[in-house]
Amino acid sequence: MPTALAPTTFPGRITVAELESALMITPEGDEPTPATSATPADGAVPPADGAAAAVDVDAVEAALEAVEESTGAEPDLRSLFEEQALPYMDQLYAAAMRMTRNPADASDLVQETFVKAFAAFRQFQQGTNLKAWLYRIQTNTFINTYRKKQRDPYQGTIDELEDWQMGGAESATRTSGSTRSAEAEAIDHLPDSAVKDALQKVPEDFRMAVYFADVEGFSYQEIADIMKTPVGTVMSRLHRGRRLLRGLLADYARDRGIAVPVGTTTKGSTK
Amino acid sequence: MTDCGCTKAKAELEEFLHDELCREDAADIREHMATCADCSGEHEVGLVLTEAVQRACRETAPEDLRSTVLARLRALQASH
Repeated sequence: MPTALAPTTFPGRITVAELESALMITPEGDEPTPATSATPADGAVPPADGAAAAVDVDAVEAALEAVEESTGAEPDLRSLFEEQALPYMDQLYAAAMRMTRNPADASDLVQETFVKAFAAFRQFQQGTNLKAWLYRIQTNTFINTYRKKQRDPYQGTIDELEDWQMGGAESATRTSGSTRSAEAEAIDHLPDSAVKDALQKVPEDFRMAVYFADVEGFSYQEIADIMKTPVGTVMSRLHRGRRLLRGLLADYARDRGIAVPVGTTTKGSTK
Repeated sequence: MTDCGCTKAKAELEEFLHDELCREDAADIREHMATCADCSGEHEVGLVLTEAVQRACRETAPEDLRSTVLARLRALQASH
């Protein structure tokens, strides 16, 4: 039994100096290992200044491990992090490009994401979805730092935008099979730059839902966790994002003389 | 509007595309699409759209980003 003076649990944040001083006065001097000889004897409550002599050896060892984790074992934590998290850099960068829309901000965002993730890596539960965890951190970082300085021009008017921009989209589902295959054909042949441009025009929340689902293949629930929204909101963002994208791509194709059913275009009779 | 299962299929097509339907519902959609050119065409557009987005979103992080991140992690560790 630990005496009243001996800490029953080490908080883990014990300093090396505290630990060394505790170990120094164990019977074996600076040998931290011998557990049996250091077992405090019942009733052997030492005078106040010798309190540490009665330290619970198990607790000392636990604390030692904690210290090792934050000092000696750190290279392992870092190499584990580098090994597990860094392979996602290209993907996080791609998402950051969709979020910030420019390479300099995207690089900064990814950098911040990795720094924050590393700082919190001990809290990451091994065996759970690291990619989703990293995306959650990146999404938070983006919202807290970048979104503030680059107000999305569409943000706040999303609903109105959807109403007029999507005016014709509904009828797309009633076009004939042949025109629909013409649409598929057109989308299939669009250059990546056109798809990128179109994506950038889709409001951010919709765009990122599309990105998470279609590029990363996250489940609706995972996207809900990353974006901190209910699954229903994810579904609606995804649906509207894809609809908008489809309309924008039809516009692009039609502007270049590619035959696309009229119903799919975002340029309705309002023009 | 006549309904040959299209209403249900169209409503669930996106979830089907994202593999969010239970096995029974997914089987219903597949069965419906086998005989409905309209819905299978709509699904085709959905697939092509997804592929186009995937293609367009491929990026490689700049090399200097990689080295900057590694350097910052090392610095972070050293400062502890």
